[in-house]
Amino acid sequence: MSVQSTEGVLAGRLVMVTGKGGTGKTTFAAALALLSAARGRRTLLCEIDNQRPSLTPIFGSEPRFGPQQVRPGLDMCNIEWEPALESFLEGLVPSRRIVKLILGNPIVSKFLDVTPGSQELVELSALGQYVDQYDMVIVDMPASGHAFSLLDITRSAMGLFRSGPVRRRASELRELLTAETTRVAFVALPEEMVVNETLETIQRMRSFELIGGEPVVYLNRATLPTLTDGERELVARLGELELDPAEAEFVRAGRWEDVLEQSTAHSRERLQQGLDLEPVLVGPVAPGRSAREVVQDVAVSLGREVGLTRRDLSWT
Amino acid sequence: MDVNERDLTQWLSDTELVVCVGAGGVGKTTTAASVALRAAVMGRRVMVLTIDPARRLANSLGLSEFGNEARRIDLSAMPEVKGELWAMMLDSRSTFDGLIDRIAPSEEARQRILDNHIYRHMANTFAGSQDYMATETLYDIVRSGAYDMVVLDTPPVKNALDFLESPGRLINFLDERVLGWFLQPYDASRVFGQRLMLGTSAVVFRLLGYVFGRDFLDDLAEFFQDFQGLYAGFVERHDAVVKLFRSPSTQFVTVCAPSESSLDVAVFFQQELAERGLPRGGVVVNQVHACEGTDHDARRVLADAVARLDGDVEPRALARVLARLGMAHRRLRALAEAESTMTERVREAAKDGGFYQEVPRLDGNVHDLEALHAVGEHLFKPARVL
Repeated sequence: MSVQSTEGVLAGRLVMVTGKGGTGKTTFAAALALLSAARGRRTLLCEIDNQRPSLTPIFGSEPRFGPQQVRPGLDMCNIEWEPALESFLEGLVPSRRIVKLILGNPIVSKFLDVTPGSQELVELSALGQYVDQYDMVIVDMPASGHAFSLLDITRSAMGLFRSGPVRRRASELRELLTAETTRVAFVALPEEMVVNETLETIQRMRSFELIGGEPVVYLNRATLPTLTDGERELVARLGELELDPAEAEFVRAGRWEDVLEQSTAHSRERLQQGLDLEPVLVGPVAPGRSAREVVQDVAVSLGREVGLTRRDLSWT
Repeated sequence: MDVNERDLTQWLSDTELVVCVGAGGVGKTTTAASVALRAAVMGRRVMVLTIDPARRLANSLGLSEFGNEARRIDLSAMPEVKGELWAMMLDSRSTFDGLIDRIAPSEEARQRILDNHIYRHMANTFAGSQDYMATETLYDIVRSGAYDMVVLDTPPVKNALDFLESPGRLINFLDERVLGWFLQPYDASRVFGQRLMLGTSAVVFRLLGYVFGRDFLDDLAEFFQDFQGLYAGFVERHDAVVKLFRSPSTQFVTVCAPSESSLDVAVFFQQELAERGLPRGGVVVNQVHACEGTDHDARRVLADAVARLDGDVEPRALARVLARLGMAHRRLRALAEAESTMTERVREAAKDGGFYQEVPRLDGNVHDLEALHAVGEHLFKPARVL
């Protein structure tokens, strides 16, 4: 079984973080970016064309198209469609004036806006440019279904654009995605349907050979069993008694945690068997923490695995 | 809104289309399926429609998978059900093809479109084409009159209500101005060298040819020519769907979970719905934790209960179990309190925007009819008056 660790992720050059909605993609992308920067690698944390960027509450300012520094060695950006398109065209057409001419034509911009696949290709292309400028680019991707389509675009584009610079760009991007140093990190939760989606997406990505590096799966909010079977049976015996409401709350709380623990063990096993890889387990953070604090907590917890301490990761 | 003061089952029988919106991972599909099942229990003929590519709805309904065909869900295990429950997952390729079948003027035109390079890619692979097609299928299903009620589960979106704009996006692609610009100087022989190029357009066009490759523009010209006559049909259907969304028998339900990011999205959607003039049915917060009591000392609270235990109790095991139950109680209580603080702003946003309903987190995963029914019991308990 392959063991994919955070250490391996940090050795990559382009890391795309995805998963089912609500699993903590943004948190993990930001935490991995903190770790990478703490390792001394110039790191860019990107999100893709979010009209309401998820990184804003974490870093206290809104990411723009142009990278901005959020801490030493760590920049963030939001790959917005219009400036990305401009920079895409500038890369293909030698003259700025001509780019302006293309973009200045309202019908052409509309055409580019709605041409199937052009958005995805332009956004990926922006990522590709950043890979040349930074040691590490970490992307907070859309949820798995859309992330798959976005990554798959290099393949489709090769069929769609049969000649010209766009085709060449698509083929360069395909090369980038299939490089060993390109990784996908999946964030999953110990829940049946989240695990289903993780299994399906990774299996599909593997069969389409979309990504070069091995995927890593973070099983977020994981709790490992702490009670023995005998002790669990004792809880069950307590639950069978006639309990007053206050007493019953304790048994209910115990069952709640027990369900979490069982689901963690079960999910871990399914991921191991379905993907032949060992997921990285990350415990839950305390309730009521802010978006920023949650990122810090997760970074500290991942940092332990790679020898980085809270002090290395503190940021104000 | 007085919907808070009446039974939600009444709300359910007055509604013909329920649209569930919300961020990903908040139980939107489960909510959609529970609402549909509930309406079926009440005797209605219901269709639940998902564009979710992850087949979560199929899972919840006990199917390994289902597709573009309407499937009737076997409810024989629930003899009290008077109505029917149908389900369908939108598959963009066959939806596209079906659409072309209906609107292509001739068999020859139909075949040409289906064979077109760009069409094949567009319908097959591109992100978002599922979104394009959702409203198209919705329109057909509602128009067919085959169901008393339709429940639409939408894709996880957080930026905007994309799927409402999606028919607009498809139409944009076929916008007459774009088509006209593209096709006007086009020579019928379909050779680019023979285009009559005039002024800036000619320059821009040559540049597009350079950037995207001439083959692509050739394919595109062919695509546009085939679609030229279809624009009016698209516009008509789009207008009908927009009208349907605004109809008083349609209700939007915003679904969220007690997490900061999903609550953000929910508050934003409540505003969006209001701004767009779309009927707000209410807000559902799923997966809510509750815990009563502030004394976390299990040894004290459970002392009586422990004394009532029959049979042997190993003291060391008991001590560990009690310590553990105490910690679990403390953690659950902290979580419940944090959630209640968090959900405050969504309660605020829901005020004058329909009902507000919390559904507790149930033990285990909701992936069968029985569990869906249990969720429905919570969803349709008398709603809270805010």
